[in-house]
Amino acid sequence: MTTGEARAVPAVAAGPGAPRRTAPSRAGVRLARLYATSRRVPAAVAAIAACALGLRLALTGHWDTYGALQLPLVFETAAAAAITATAASPLGEPERVTGRWLPYLRLAATLALTAVAIGALAAAGTGTHLAGGTLDVARNLAGITGIGLLCAATISGGLAWIGPAAFLIPGAYALYTQWHHPALTTPWLWPGRPPHDLGAAICAGLVFATGVAVITARGARDLPDEQA
Amino acid sequence: MTATRAPARSGPVTRRPRPAARLLRLELRHNAMLWMMPVAVALFWFTAERKTLATPPLWSLRAAGMQLSAVVAFASPVAGAAAWMGSRESRRRTTDLVNITARPRPGRLLATWAATTCWALVAYLACLAVVYGVTAQQAAWGGPLWWPAVVAAACLPALTALGFAAGTLVPGRFTAPLVALAAFFVLALSTQLIHGSQSYWQISPVVTGAWDIGPDPGVATFYAYLPDLPIAQVMFLLGLTAAVLGALTLPTGSGLRSLRRSAVAITTAGLVVAGTAVALAGTGRLDAHGMIAIPALHDAASDRPLRYTPVCSHTAIPVCLNPAYASYLPATEAALAPMLDQIAGLPGAPARISQTPATYRQGPGNSVGIGLAGSSISGAPPVLHLLLPVQLPGPALTAGELAGQLRSITGPSIIASVTGDGPGASEAQHAVTTALLMAARVVPSHLPSPQTPTAGNGGPPPGAGAGGERYVGSAPGSPGFAVAQRFAALPAAVRRGWLTQHLAALRAGRISLGQLP
Repeated sequence: MTTGEARAVPAVAAGPGAPRRTAPSRAGVRLARLYATSRRVPAAVAAIAACALGLRLALTGHWDTYGALQLPLVFETAAAAAITATAASPLGEPERVTGRWLPYLRLAATLALTAVAIGALAAAGTGTHLAGGTLDVARNLAGITGIGLLCAATISGGLAWIGPAAFLIPGAYALYTQWHHPALTTPWLWPGRPPHDLGAAICAGLVFATGVAVITARGARDLPDEQA
Repeated sequence: MTATRAPARSGPVTRRPRPAARLLRLELRHNAMLWMMPVAVALFWFTAERKTLATPPLWSLRAAGMQLSAVVAFASPVAGAAAWMGSRESRRRTTDLVNITARPRPGRLLATWAATTCWALVAYLACLAVVYGVTAQQAAWGGPLWWPAVVAAACLPALTALGFAAGTLVPGRFTAPLVALAAFFVLALSTQLIHGSQSYWQISPVVTGAWDIGPDPGVATFYAYLPDLPIAQVMFLLGLTAAVLGALTLPTGSGLRSLRRSAVAITTAGLVVAGTAVALAGTGRLDAHGMIAIPALHDAASDRPLRYTPVCSHTAIPVCLNPAYASYLPATEAALAPMLDQIAGLPGAPARISQTPATYRQGPGNSVGIGLAGSSISGAPPVLHLLLPVQLPGPALTAGELAGQLRSITGPSIIASVTGDGPGASEAQHAVTTALLMAARVVPSHLPSPQTPTAGNGGPPPGAGAGGERYVGSAPGSPGFAVAQRFAALPAAVRRGWLTQHLAALRAGRISLGQLP
């Protein structure tokens, strides 16, 4: 059979037993669902909800100045680590080659999870004394998520948590130096800056935008022989 | 076919390494902690350089700061890497493959855990060597305190064991980050639960002494470092490590029955040791020297003061400091010399000023009262006991800041101790004290409160003076202030002559303001 013959084959009429083309919207939903399942997005949402619940419970307790300032940062970092954990792909190269919608799915999943995390943590702090408030939550979480996404793209999807976990210590130390001088005032350590600090917001936003752009375009790096 | 005898093979016999050693070597070469070492070292250095090495070069301060920095900096990377290594078989889908190998599961797991721990310890020892090496070059007196170093080192196997167990038992992409962050959360924020010196939570390896004082320059300088709390912490950490590792080998299919029995025994023993350590930590109390003493672990010989040869200034009244504080002597000498010139040789004036240890007393909650024990002047010839502001907890003072506090607080207190000035003293005593300060060209910046300084939730205490008598002086604009100005304007010899003749009466309150020249 030649190519021309193959082209000449008429389309099979759709019958009761033949595969049907699904509507584009349903296919899109199915694709998004499969993507979310493969990246453990539901588990990440559950982890974010657990972080929000943990923060809420913790805020009901009595904390001294150290604890009250550093507590939200720990939960923000945990939520950011949960978001970045979804960057790893269990399918690797085959999916990368064939999935043309992948960049959009990565972008949508990352932005949606970040928004969910900010909303959940801000809601957890409602009615309590959340140090820094919602602005602080949004800035810190976005910036730390950006660090995690950059780690996912450069180190590995499975090891993306290294960035947020490592950043937590200088971040907490920057908060500590606010009353144990000399204070660390660099905006790149944004957790130590006040919520309305423009420089810190720009730095965190820049890191988040870079992380999202890189992960959207390239996806997480896969380590050989590793299943995410 | 003719059978021939094959000659025995001669030549060099190479000894093959034992399987366990070979397995450990393989694990060392393929371990995530190897790549996590730079992260852990960088995190340690980020805080230690600014915090620990920025403190005065006192072994007590540097060792306690090093313990705290090392435990907090290493917690996340070490626990996370261990969890990552623990989930390796699941990630690589090799669980079934390795389960049928000749090596028993406990041996395989322990080799991976040991390799992770080894790299963590290597990174920690490198950090320790740098901090202690720098301190050894800078410290004027004393030697390394090893107990804080041992506590931080014992923390690493416990962290790797916990992380490794979590990764092995619950493999998944969320396990390693969860373990890494939980390790930080538990270690950094569990101290919120400490209330007073009799708290079970002092077992946390980030605790180096009375909590909320933090690393204190006044501790372990005049008295030996008490190893009571570190011993309990090391017991707890080793017990926890043994219990976790023992429990890891308990699940079914782990090999021989004898092996399982051993695992049960190790787990039980570990739990008992860890539980005992927690119970011991709960019996701790803040001793008078600022350290946590645990009666069951306490050695009474540790309560004896350390022997040292003081370093003394060449002022009119010698000021003698503990050699550990020798770097502060020039600033102390320069700050106090003008005031000491005014009182040297007067009846009742000290013949020597000697630095003395602070006394600690547990207050409500986590507050701690710090001050001088007993009278500020004692002995014959009289010796004035001095508490340097740098002996008190709080931000590290520069030489200039120390000199400022000595001039504004300590010096006036020393003069007040000679004139008998204080809250209940006469106007004449206030005026003479003020006059002597004017003559020494010293203007005290503020009047210290008569209460004992307190450290605690409210933050570091203000700088304390010599203790005992406190400077009150005459307020500007008052009749006493005018008299003080007149008295200060007298020639030094006239002033000294009058004081030599009338100081005893002045101290007794028998001199009125009008009787001053």
